Amino acid sequence: MTILEATALAKRFGAVTAVHEVSLDVGAGEIIGLLGPNGAGKSTTLHMLLGLITPDSGSIRMFGLDLERHRIEVLSRINFAASYVDLPGVLQVREVLDVFARLYGVRDPKARVGELVELLDLGPLRKRKVMELSSGQRTRVQLAKALVNEPSLLILDEPTANLDPDAGDRIRSLLVRVARENGRAMLITSHNMQEVERMCDRIHFMSAGRIVASGSAAELTDVYSADSLEEVFLKVARARPEVARP
Amino acid sequence: MTPLTVTHSPLGLPARVTRIGGVVRRDFAALRRSPIRMFEIVFWPTIELLVWGFVTVFLQSQQVPFVVAFLIGAVLLWQVLQKASNEISIAFLEDIWSRNLLNVQVSPLSTVEYVIGLILFSFGKVVFAIAVMAGLALAFYGFGVTSFGAGLVPFMALLLVMGWSLGLVGISAVLRFGENAQVIAWSLVFVVQPLAGIFYPVDVLPEPLQAVAAFLPATHVFTGMRTVLDGGAVPWGELAWAAVLAAGYLAATLGVFAWTLRYARSHGKLSRFGE
Repeated sequence: MTILEATALAKRFGAVTAVHEVSLDVGAGEIIGLLGPNGAGKSTTLHMLLGLITPDSGSIRMFGLDLERHRIEVLSRINFAASYVDLPGVLQVREVLDVFARLYGVRDPKARVGELVELLDLGPLRKRKVMELSSGQRTRVQLAKALVNEPSLLILDEPTANLDPDAGDRIRSLLVRVARENGRAMLITSHNMQEVERMCDRIHFMSAGRIVASGSAAELTDVYSADSLEEVFLKVARARPEVARP
Repeated sequence: MTPLTVTHSPLGLPARVTRIGGVVRRDFAALRRSPIRMFEIVFWPTIELLVWGFVTVFLQSQQVPFVVAFLIGAVLLWQVLQKASNEISIAFLEDIWSRNLLNVQVSPLSTVEYVIGLILFSFGKVVFAIAVMAGLALAFYGFGVTSFGAGLVPFMALLLVMGWSLGLVGISAVLRFGENAQVIAWSLVFVVQPLAGIFYPVDVLPEPLQAVAAFLPATHVFTGMRTVLDGGAVPWGELAWAAVLAAGYLAATLGVFAWTLRYARSHGKLSRFGE
């Protein structure tokens, strides 16, 4: 079953074409990677899928509904976490989760917060303020927030970017477990090729606002005659056309 | 669509009430965890009350009639307007300062639900601050808010609505022009101060400014306040006109806010608040 279907998305900011004719789909339970060098248009694409940026053209359908016309219904069923977004620092972890449980219309916020605290092993952090947590702990809280509404699709923009290898590995394991156990789909961007190789069922490479290659990690390394996904990344990144900068 | 289990149906009333409650809960928790913010709610209004209170004591000693009631009453009602405007802006700006705005904007919270949440919380803070100030005014200067008579509730309600409108304009400016525009969110209400005849009748203004003042709900509230404190009846007709103006401004600023949000989404400005 297709959860997300984006067709011919395009976005320009002044003279710069950030995203050009991007189409992608995500099926139930799939983990899709969106890779590419800085400025390739990954975050702009994700932000269009989240309704933060309105596409100039193209369409976004999730769960069979048009995002523009059914914004509330669609956003109720997806969630988001990113390394560049934070949570209110003065709030305690349990308060943050309670607030977002309410913002997502959760029926029993208290019970849901309890489940998430257990799932993400946040018990010792429950009464600590977000601002007092380490990067790894904050990322876990962000993920708890991203799971608060039991989303069918998780959109994650470089979720492990600020983490040391150990914390990053733990988060990756957690994400894979959450996806596999609950059949949740994920769309994830990352600059960590091992992470992508380990987690993703399919990968789209973006460059200069376009999807230039798609397939599984094995297929891509095969097509690009590369030994690793990292080598594929370098080939794609270095072959990209020059993009005008604002 | 498969039915949701953990959440209410997203378009139903229980979901909407829960989401609005989330906005209020977030602001309340942030306030509760920040003693400086709690202190600040009453600090500045109290300072202003004390300064003007001592001015009135001095003027009273110079046999200037009615001055206590006029000035203390004006300070109290001015605080309703100023705090209503600023508190709604602060609640929004805190999401920007804490880099949480994107989390809120990708939630299913609608624009109207968000604004209702901001308004409800700012209402609670204004009522609390004014209650403290009213107690101090009574204790220090013998001025009771009952001096406003039947005008008390409409005076405050009209100023609250006007303050919320100004706050929404400030938020819209930040969305449209970026974080640097937060100075507009803070200062907009002070543009109203000289025009609305808060501490003096609008008759002292030059005629062109009097014409502008006539279109501010606050002008009619403060004129009405002086009438009541001078022993006159509540000028219901004037307050009705102020209510029409206030409702018009609120509707217009809600429209501006919704338009600015669409503009911000269209131009990628919301995303930049996450950088």
